Amino acid sequence: MNRGFLDRLGRERLYCDGGTGSLLQAKGLKGGELPERWNLTHPDAVRDVALGYFQAGSHIVNANTFGANRLHYPDPGELRAIIEAGVGLAVEARRLAGREGDAYVTLDLGPTGRLLKPMGDLDFEDAVALFGEVVRAGEAAGADLVMIETMNDTLELKAAVLAAKEHSRLPVCATCVFDGKGKLLTGGTPESLVALLEGLRVDALGVNCGLGPAQMLPIVRRLLAASSLPVFVNPNAGLPRMENGRTVYDLPADAFAAAMAEIARAGAHVLGGCCGTTPAYIRATIEATRDIPFAPPTPKRRTVVSSFSQVVEIGPRPVIVGERINPTGKKKLQQALREGDLDAVVALGLSQEEAGAHVLDVNVGLPGIDEAATMAALVPKLQGVLALPLQIDSSSPEALERGLRLYNGKPLINSVSGKRESLDAVLPLAAKYGGALVALPLDEKGIPDTAEGRLAVARKIVEEAAKYGIPREDIVADGLAMTVSADSRSASVTLETLRRLRDELGLKTVLGVSNISFGLPQREAVNAFFLSMALESGLSLAIINPSSAAMMAAYRSWLALSGLDDNCAGFIAAYGQGEGSLFAPGGVRPGAAAPSVEAGTLSDSVRFGMAERAAQQARALLDGGADPMAIINDTLIPALDAVGKGFEAGTLFLPQLLMSADAAKAAFAVVKDALAGQPRASKGTVVLATVKGDIHDIGKNIVKVLLENYGYRVVDLGKDVAPEAVAEAAIREDAPLVGLSALMTTTVASMEETIRLLREKKPDAKVVVGGAVLTRDYAAQIGADRYAREAMDTVRYADEVFGAMSH
Amino acid sequence: MAVEIDRREAYRYLGLRGAAPDAATAAAVDEAVRLLDAVVEPRQVSRRFLLKKTDDGALDIEGLRVESKALSRNLEGCREVFLMAATLGIGPDRLIARAQAEGAMSRAMALQAASAAMIEAWCDDVNAELARQAKARGRALRPRFSPGYGDFSLEAQPGIFRLLGAQRNIGITLTDSLLMLPTKSVTAVIGIADAGEAACPAGCAACDKTDCSYRIREDTP
Repeated sequence: MNRGFLDRLGRERLYCDGGTGSLLQAKGLKGGELPERWNLTHPDAVRDVALGYFQAGSHIVNANTFGANRLHYPDPGELRAIIEAGVGLAVEARRLAGREGDAYVTLDLGPTGRLLKPMGDLDFEDAVALFGEVVRAGEAAGADLVMIETMNDTLELKAAVLAAKEHSRLPVCATCVFDGKGKLLTGGTPESLVALLEGLRVDALGVNCGLGPAQMLPIVRRLLAASSLPVFVNPNAGLPRMENGRTVYDLPADAFAAAMAEIARAGAHVLGGCCGTTPAYIRATIEATRDIPFAPPTPKRRTVVSSFSQVVEIGPRPVIVGERINPTGKKKLQQALREGDLDAVVALGLSQEEAGAHVLDVNVGLPGIDEAATMAALVPKLQGVLALPLQIDSSSPEALERGLRLYNGKPLINSVSGKRESLDAVLPLAAKYGGALVALPLDEKGIPDTAEGRLAVARKIVEEAAKYGIPREDIVADGLAMTVSADSRSASVTLETLRRLRDELGLKTVLGVSNISFGLPQREAVNAFFLSMALESGLSLAIINPSSAAMMAAYRSWLALSGLDDNCAGFIAAYGQGEGSLFAPGGVRPGAAAPSVEAGTLSDSVRFGMAERAAQQARALLDGGADPMAIINDTLIPALDAVGKGFEAGTLFLPQLLMSADAAKAAFAVVKDALAGQPRASKGTVVLATVKGDIHDIGKNIVKVLLENYGYRVVDLGKDVAPEAVAEAAIREDAPLVGLSALMTTTVASMEETIRLLREKKPDAKVVVGGAVLTRDYAAQIGADRYAREAMDTVRYADEVFGAMSH
Repeated sequence: MAVEIDRREAYRYLGLRGAAPDAATAAAVDEAVRLLDAVVEPRQVSRRFLLKKTDDGALDIEGLRVESKALSRNLEGCREVFLMAATLGIGPDRLIARAQAEGAMSRAMALQAASAAMIEAWCDDVNAELARQAKARGRALRPRFSPGYGDFSLEAQPGIFRLLGAQRNIGITLTDSLLMLPTKSVTAVIGIADAGEAACPAGCAACDKTDCSYRIREDTP
């Protein structure tokens, strides 16, 4: 029961409270003290703060629960008591103020103080669980809504929203901290925040803290322009400065209120304050804004997808979805997925981003692998290094859900069809997690062979989706490209379907373009021409291979010819600098500084660290008939070894060693392709890990590259790895050598523990350790077999260990 | 916003030990600086606090208790301190992760070294501004001292974060093991002394770990 909060939100201007911390500090709270504990130790002070705001006219007053979570209060009994008391004190204050009829007590959720994986070390589900615990206690204690605030990581925000929705029935409002440039500290923008939160179906969203009202105004305007939901604005009392060792803010209440009037006129729906504001500020704000007309939020009806930092709008400009992360028909990708080599998959993503994709399809459906688990591992890994929005693509609802849950942003979801089973499984997921949903107009009766038939199914999907509250603009209907060599009318049916989906149903459209040309020669020519026709028929989303020069040329030409590329700037930027012809062998090459393959030898390229040239030279040698194994043994290994020795002798330094390693790696990749089927024999398996608690893994990764170049197979467990996981991998791989890294003194303890466990579980494995704080003595003291001071030391030790084994 | 760095610091982090960089290394560092300039978001928060001693000889900064001989030595005679926290934001971490995902370890390492030099340079800028403020009040600053130096434990980090509102104000977080994320972040205590008092040793000279690979030796330029 929330006494009509949702009936009023967005229909009239409501007011929040202001700052709490400085008021409690004025009552004696120390800067280093945890403020929520005061709910138990100083209840009168806490109640007075809330009472002040209710009396000033705030409708929405936070309970003192901002940091009340397991990470700050590990004792569950104390935590529960703090939350109950916090909510109870605010409820009591409301009664004392006589505001039971028209004011609301919120359970206040602030950030955990931890960064979530993949950038940080807090697991997403752990974050959901710890917020969930707070939400359950808060709802039971009588809170009317959940206010998630002062967030600066959208992934943590998503965990909090899911927790609020999964553990309570309370309305959920959420606000974030932006900087003066309109960015979240983790890179998000007002538009990406709106996309995420609308997808998650919060009841209102907005901005708090960080800035004063004047600096917040441009951000507020952007939120209002993007959002179909009510917008909260809770600024600080201006900008902070130091005065006698205390932080003070530069705006007095009347100046704050005047700036808030400007924000009210811009159209914000809920007004309040944050750091430095007091009941006087809220009273003045109410006074200054009372007579400003109120306008409810309006639906924006745009089709957008987002990542943590980027928003891609689908239409009017068509969007390219890179199709290559899909194992169907791709042997190398299948092998990488089977071996759990997600780095190779991520590299496919990065190359498509460079080729010009706007969104990346992620499909890991492959018989014999755990698709849901692979999806759950891959989505965060991709988002750790690239900022493009993703299309979560699976026929398995379980894999879809795992991907959607962990995705930081509003994804494309591929797909739902008109089949009852699909509607029942996928629509609830789209409704819960948000996303633009690809709709396939086929059903139990199969694929309709007329545009009329496909429109009928699309119409049905739109109606079914509406039952789940999924709006039309979040549906992207597939025109279904069918092989034209099997039915010569199929392309024209698809094109007619696209036109009519747009014109009659008002839907955005999508095509997997290259299906059209199965069974034909010169498929790229057919695909590129069909893409142009489809774009002309209203296609909004083209799923293609962005590395295909012909496809991207068709796309860029169409944009230029359709008035969607001002001054043809995009076209010229893509092709203006090169020489050669798109349609001649070699395609468009970079202009002036084309590297000459002839200059220098492969050995020189490795020694001087020129990766691109090394790859070209390796290819040229293979084309000339050279034996792949001879290239490795007679050229690459000796060149690497020369550099390694130079490094050990102190005549070469780490950067040169690494550049050579990168160059050798590029050449190895080319040679490996030529060896397909008969891979290079490995010298043996080494397990590497950065120990539990440590997140600095660059040193370990350097060692990995060197070991691989020297012919070892490396099982890389990553960073922050528990001792048990290291032991388990060493046993599973029967690894004779385990390498551990730790950068900090504090994490050497977990290194020691890992070694102890290895000795117990896998006594025959040797252990080599490295890291900035270690020394030879220290390494011996914690039981390691060898201390690796420099990057090459582990390689030499591996040669020792594995050399001894082969004798 | 760009932060000017001393290239020699980046070379030192790359293990050059005072040797002149070859052209490729210099170019790699230049490229790293260019990439970093486009993504860094230097932010800082700093505040002045009274420094007290508890009866048992520990340091007390507004309720934050610190037991550290090294820090006590550094703060000898000070009645006030600045706490500061500074960060370059998450951008460098993403760049480094991306370089590694692309298999470009040399770029990753150049980014690592250049961003380490950059966060130090940013701290120096913040430090210089605090020194200017102190000088205006007739005071001088001691060398800044960070958790993790000598016996100044990382256990102080949560307290420093709370006193500065480090997460709320500049978006840095602590891991379970009290390391900071984004990784290119620094917290420090800076003693405020009466002007004219003898300064105590700073930087590597103040550190007991004499076998550190990164130690700046007197004979290096």
